[in-house]
Amino acid sequence: MIAPLAIAAQAGIVGGTDARAVIIGLLTGIAFGAILQRTGASSYHMIVNMLRLKDLTIMKLLFLGIAVGSVGMYVVNAVGVAHIGIAPVYLLGIAAGGLVFGVGWALAGYCPGTALVAMSEGKADAAITVLGGLAGAATLAVSWDYLKPVLVDPLNYGGKSLNDVLGVNPLPVALVLAAVLIAFVIYLDRIDSRPERQAGKRLDPTAHLEL
Amino acid sequence: MNGHLEDSSRRQQRWMSWVYGGILLGLLNTFAIATYGALGVSRNYAVADGWLSGLLGLDFASTNSYMSGIPSAIDWLFMVSVGMVIGGFLATVIKGKLNVRSVPRLWVSRFGDSKPKRFAAAFAGGFLLLFGARLAGGCTSGLVLSGIAQLALAGFIFAIAIMASGIVTARFLYRRQSS
Repeated sequence: MIAPLAIAAQAGIVGGTDARAVIIGLLTGIAFGAILQRTGASSYHMIVNMLRLKDLTIMKLLFLGIAVGSVGMYVVNAVGVAHIGIAPVYLLGIAAGGLVFGVGWALAGYCPGTALVAMSEGKADAAITVLGGLAGAATLAVSWDYLKPVLVDPLNYGGKSLNDVLGVNPLPVALVLAAVLIAFVIYLDRIDSRPERQAGKRLDPTAHLEL
Repeated sequence: MNGHLEDSSRRQQRWMSWVYGGILLGLLNTFAIATYGALGVSRNYAVADGWLSGLLGLDFASTNSYMSGIPSAIDWLFMVSVGMVIGGFLATVIKGKLNVRSVPRLWVSRFGDSKPKRFAAAFAGGFLLLFGARLAGGCTSGLVLSGIAQLALAGFIFAIAIMASGIVTARFLYRRQSS
């Protein structure tokens, strides 16, 4: 524990940090990492087979998480303080970034968060993905001055949410979104449960843990 | 690798169902938004880049225009990523043992067991993931899991883009394979 702290202090990254934020963040992250690991979301096998549309488990997990989170967040927002932060909409940069991200997702078989979790499981290729990520983020930073005028500044509408566009309160929108997503998840689960998709998949229900 | 002893030890590591997992992820994100903000990961790669450049004695973080928008001190969101590494490790060792391996079995079935080949793809994949995520302003956590939950239009656009290109790429990579 001492050595990383000493390095951190030397790099000037621990000054003035709120201890409560550090502890709550750490505990939140531990829960996040444990859930991703236990559900198989940090498995190359599960992510790539979701993208191949062979096994939709991760898609169901993600959509259900969004549905529950959306209602939860806007209930908190209605009764108290929610730290909502709506991401800015810039069509070109988000579409281009998303298309690039998708190629990386299928190649690596991890996303930025699940690569961290898979690395902690002992998967060496995930650690390499994290290194690639550090290089990718640095490259984006270096090219920012060239990309921003072309992909970020045009068609930039700022932080816009669905309820802003509809001109209504967010909680009913969140409830409708949750209902639609849960219906979609039930539909995906019916596809996933078809006998022909089960063949070979559940022979060893734990095999993909190491994958 | 396929001995019966290993099979029986692995059998204890059953998956958590996506139903419980999805509900827990939603509740965790609700807790996060009630305390500090929505869950996200990709920004922390840029934060780490800033520190790495500092340790290497480069002036990258202070001179680069993109890095001026990236925090230089540990904050709540960075600790979430630190926690993810610890949480993933703890969940793995409590339920069984570490999954130490270099090349996924599914990858082997299509591309062979060459480590350099897999590592090259893993590095290129990571590079594209974070280049794309930082360009778009978030990843599967910040823009999809949290962004769509917050009803951000950016999240919907990003989700459609990553699913479309991810599905096309994965199906292309495994085009000659049925299982």
